Amino acid sequence: MDLSIAALLAQDGITNGAIYALLALALVMVFAVTRVILVPSGELLTIGALTLAAFDQGHVPGTVRLVAGAAVLAGVIEAVRRARRGEGRRALAGAALWAGIPLALAALAAWMGPRKLPLAAEVAMALALTGALGPLTWKIVFEPIADASVLVLLIVAVAVHFVLTGLALYFFGAEGSRTPPFSSASFDIGALRVSVQSLLVLATSALAIAALALFFGRTLYGKALHATSVNRLGARLCGISPDFAGALSFALAAVLCAFCGVLIGPITTLYYDSGFIISLKGFVGAIIGGLASYPLAAAGSLFVGLIEAFSSFWASAYKEVIVFTLIIPVLLWRSLVTHHHEEDE
Amino acid sequence: MRSGAGLGRLCSTPAIIAFIAIAMALLPLIAPPFWVTLANYIGLYTIVALGLVLLTGVAGQTSFGQAAFVGLGAYTSAWLSTAHGVSPWIALAAGLALTFVVALALGFITLRMRGHFLPLATIAWGLSIFFLFGNLEFLGGHTGMAGIPALSIGTIELKDERRMCWLIWLVVVAALWTMHNVLDSRQGRAIRALKGRLEMAEAFGVDGARLKIVVFVYAALLACISGWLYAHLQRFVNPTPFGINQGIEYLFMAVVGGAGSVLGALVGATIITLLKQYLQDALPALLGTSGNFEIVVFGLIVIVLLQRTRDGLWPWIDRLLPHAKPPPVPDAAPLAARVQPAAASTLLEVRAARKAFGGLVAVNDLTFALACGEIVGLIGPNGAGKTTTFALLSGALAPTSGDVRFRGHSIAGAAPYRIAARGIGRTFQHVKLVPRMSVLDNVALGAHLRGRAGFLRAALRLDRREEARVRAEAARALARCGLAEFVHAEAQNLALGQQRIVEIARALAADPVLLLLDEPAAGLRFHEKEALAALLRSLRAGGMTVLLVEHDMAFVMGLADRLIVMDFGEKLAEGVPAAIQSDPAVLEAYLGGAPT
Amino acid sequence: MKRGLNVALAVAIAAAASAARADITIGVTLSATGPAASLGIPERNTFELLPQSIDGQKINWVILDDASDTTKAVTNTRKLITEDKADVIIGSTVTPNSLAMVDVVADAKLPMISMAASGRIVDPSNPRTYWVFKTPQSDTLMADAIAVSMKANGVRTMGYIGFADAYGESWLAEMRNSLKTAGIEIVAAEKYNRNDTSVTGQVLKLIAAHPDAILIGASGTPAATPQKELVARGYKGKIYQTHGVANADFLRVVGKDGNGTLLPSGPMLVYEQLPDSNPLKKSDATYVTQYEKRFGTRSTFGGHAWDAWQLLAQAIPKALAKAKPGTPEFRAALRDGLETANVVGVHGVFVMTPHDHNGLDNRGRVMVKIEDGKWVLQK
Repeated sequence: MDLSIAALLAQDGITNGAIYALLALALVMVFAVTRVILVPSGELLTIGALTLAAFDQGHVPGTVRLVAGAAVLAGVIEAVRRARRGEGRRALAGAALWAGIPLALAALAAWMGPRKLPLAAEVAMALALTGALGPLTWKIVFEPIADASVLVLLIVAVAVHFVLTGLALYFFGAEGSRTPPFSSASFDIGALRVSVQSLLVLATSALAIAALALFFGRTLYGKALHATSVNRLGARLCGISPDFAGALSFALAAVLCAFCGVLIGPITTLYYDSGFIISLKGFVGAIIGGLASYPLAAAGSLFVGLIEAFSSFWASAYKEVIVFTLIIPVLLWRSLVTHHHEEDE
Repeated sequence: MRSGAGLGRLCSTPAIIAFIAIAMALLPLIAPPFWVTLANYIGLYTIVALGLVLLTGVAGQTSFGQAAFVGLGAYTSAWLSTAHGVSPWIALAAGLALTFVVALALGFITLRMRGHFLPLATIAWGLSIFFLFGNLEFLGGHTGMAGIPALSIGTIELKDERRMCWLIWLVVVAALWTMHNVLDSRQGRAIRALKGRLEMAEAFGVDGARLKIVVFVYAALLACISGWLYAHLQRFVNPTPFGINQGIEYLFMAVVGGAGSVLGALVGATIITLLKQYLQDALPALLGTSGNFEIVVFGLIVIVLLQRTRDGLWPWIDRLLPHAKPPPVPDAAPLAARVQPAAASTLLEVRAARKAFGGLVAVNDLTFALACGEIVGLIGPNGAGKTTTFALLSGALAPTSGDVRFRGHSIAGAAPYRIAARGIGRTFQHVKLVPRMSVLDNVALGAHLRGRAGFLRAALRLDRREEARVRAEAARALARCGLAEFVHAEAQNLALGQQRIVEIARALAADPVLLLLDEPAAGLRFHEKEALAALLRSLRAGGMTVLLVEHDMAFVMGLADRLIVMDFGEKLAEGVPAAIQSDPAVLEAYLGGAPT
Repeated sequence: MKRGLNVALAVAIAAAASAARADITIGVTLSATGPAASLGIPERNTFELLPQSIDGQKINWVILDDASDTTKAVTNTRKLITEDKADVIIGSTVTPNSLAMVDVVADAKLPMISMAASGRIVDPSNPRTYWVFKTPQSDTLMADAIAVSMKANGVRTMGYIGFADAYGESWLAEMRNSLKTAGIEIVAAEKYNRNDTSVTGQVLKLIAAHPDAILIGASGTPAATPQKELVARGYKGKIYQTHGVANADFLRVVGKDGNGTLLPSGPMLVYEQLPDSNPLKKSDATYVTQYEKRFGTRSTFGGHAWDAWQLLAQAIPKALAKAKPGTPEFRAALRDGLETANVVGVHGVFVMTPHDHNGLDNRGRVMVKIEDGKWVLQK
């Protein structure tokens, strides 16, 4: 292996690692606020990219139907919940809010589907539609069991992953798609050809990591959001509703995941079932960061991306074996240096 | 009343297992063949899920990697019996041996991980082993190995699915029965304490790290047997049934069925298998054949199910069944007791013990001694280092420097379970009972080191005599503490004050020489405190030594023979209560004189 | 005595009459979800085009999805046999599933028609394959076509990149055999996963070995990933694909990077370009027109399902003459009928013999080149 190949592999590893890092951020954020491990983050990524691909081909993506259906369900759930609490008036308002906004989005998306608007509008709509799936999932699936054990939340998250994969197959078919790049330009640094798209991936990842670290680490509101996972009552006393915090973190995470999809959509082909293995690698990064630290999670993700790139050169048949065997010592090391609380049942 | 008790007994776990045994013996004779097919797979899945109940549900170690062990069992037998013509029964032994070694190695490395590191590590090695199967050419690669022979017992070939059904369910019933027995035993109590109560379990002599590995290996061996049966039922193996998706599905079964109970594994495996089968038949009729909604509807049903019954289905069913009232604990010969050392001899010496956390010195060169048969109070303002001192004595923390000697031996830095074996019993500032376990079992856990029964004896029910003595001992300890009426209650249902007393009973069941009590009177009502004081005095009269941390000054002044006062990690004063009460330095510390 | 005989006769006639009314049950298990979904879906679509009766005999189609999983494929097979009393089983889509089903149908003694690629499924040296037939061209046949084309193009060294699954594995094994006779050397062999987001490492390694040509052993749109990467990294040699890519989605995703790619395929992919004298042209037209009217563009995988039916359509009337559906005799007769079938399908002309349960020859393959997003038949 000469230097130019090493440089190409490093570039490839870093680009993929940056995507894993963004997913890791979404996972860390959702876990820190809700204790849910967002297994379907990968599906949100693929749905984001495939929605954009559908717009690009002039179709109305199936996501529209999904969002509309989930919106109606969420509206009903919210109305029933509030009515049971005796908030008759606010029941209607809540239902209108939860069903109304996503339904309006879906209607707009259905209108623009066949119209081939500029790429920026299509990207914005793909992000908004997929982003809407986040809070809707929270409302329908996780809010009723927000205080269950981490294991139960994890299993439910896996079930959501099944549902979304099955629906993605129905909406988008078994074959993959690529999306148009933001920029198809590239330039040479010595022997290395660098595409603007992959630089874009890196830049946005770095930006998102910094922004999230600042928000959760430095602002009072961010800190309070973090506290909801540890102490739901305490957060309520600080004026943060845990339910709102959950919905907010799911919304941010869903947009972030969809954004990942839009970023790598032009670089690689995505399929209805691509999400799981990508989110698994993001999960590796998130865990290396102890599900708490954003910069460490990003570093872990880059590490995974790099091993992957180099092992696919050296021994492609054993790539996954190498990647997943190498992370075990890292996990062991991280586990030994991380301070653990014994979790109560 | 009587029929109610009879019905209750019929709904006990052993009775249900016996019923399953009979039902599954008859099923192949009377049921349509496809039922037998399904029953076979349910049986195979139950065996794996049962391992997960033990590992994940009870011991709290989440594993996504069980499918890899199933693969080890299946591939070992497939390869040996096709490529080398080895008898499948010998291949089973080989598979178990291989699984044992692999699980031991993996367990040794990964079970040190805590929190979310462990589940991810199980995904990691699960995937690694899966891709290894696909890349080894002698194992048929991704395409797989065909022509695996059917099992035979003597001259009877088990090619027929009905015959396999009997064999599979024989294994299932044996696994259910032995697992039920293990959980209802000395080792079972220790395993249940692993989940979130490791520190407590170790304080009563449980070697937590070793026990986790034992549990892990046990679950892996069950998975291996399931894989062996799978290979000879299917007579074809390829990597897909041993991948991460199947690993997730096993965990699904355990959680949906009820990961905390033996029968949860059976219920989970049955429900998931039948649900998928039913959806495959029913959905095309409902929704047409244009899409595949099985996985979608399946996921939705699991979500709704867990929203309704988050502990899984079996606990929910179990609540609907009648239950016989547990009989009073029969008396039995007492367990061998420790000889208490001679009164007034030195029992414990702390010599210049120091504990620093980074730059913060929590305990600063502390020196004191305890004589046999005295009650000593360790007091001081919040943050004085009392709890850290306790942790140094019980082995939860190792001192940075200095020494702790107990009955002439250094115990500084020794593992908690070794210190427990030397005769130190303790309670915790924050109550650490196993919440879903009965009060009696919680206390019996205290007597862990006084029994000997291991897994095998427990699994085969050969531990009953010893177990009866342990239970009687626990009941006596509870009676002594005035909690006889709560013997069969779930620990989590007791008031906090009562839970503190249960902690003392548990420490007593360990037959300690030295009792370390961390704020035993907190949360107790006045007459409860009086009873506690009386209990501690009677223990002293029996020769026991007690060191207690306490904030309730009236309580500790009236009870203790001596007091040691700590402040800022150092010993401030030591003496009889009356002297301490008038010590100016103590008053300064307590009444908030500014340090000069 | 005589009266007893009459009763017995009457019962026998009644039984025969009820048997005559028994429907033919065709059980299908295919991979409509999971990793092989892009192959299984056009197959399932094709079954919706097939008739509901033959010779006045009603056909029960029971179509199950095995999610590309072997355990599920075997469970489905057992269900089709014991619950649905299938007379014949069609499936499954992928090789491991089909191999796992072989033992089950051999024990139950009923014919099975696989839609998977590997020749191992109908290996005549294995007595268990007595009941098993298959419609897709064996990898051997297709691999030979590539070897011939490579030799004609002056290729001396080849690099290979394929799926890390049974498909990729089987292609590499077959190419090794075919290239040996053609005197072409394999200088690098790499694997990748269908879902991989990047194959840069593998492609760099391939290019570093400087092969004259590179074969991509993959199916559907995922086969475009290495191709696009090869083009992006400036690989100038010939690129070959397998017949697994023969659908419109592949052309859409590979775009202009696909230009000049060669692949072997069943003739149905380019039937319009076949000479009118080719017997396949008519049968291809029949199938492709029907399929494209309902489901959009053609996929050669659907053709394998269609061919399975063509074989049955010839064998069922023969078997009906010998025995009644639902009986072991009928199933045996059906198997015998399949073994002597001589059918013009959409993928080729099937001439079954006891030693060849696939029955396709060179007429079952053509070389196709991708030019400007179109399949072009190579003469």
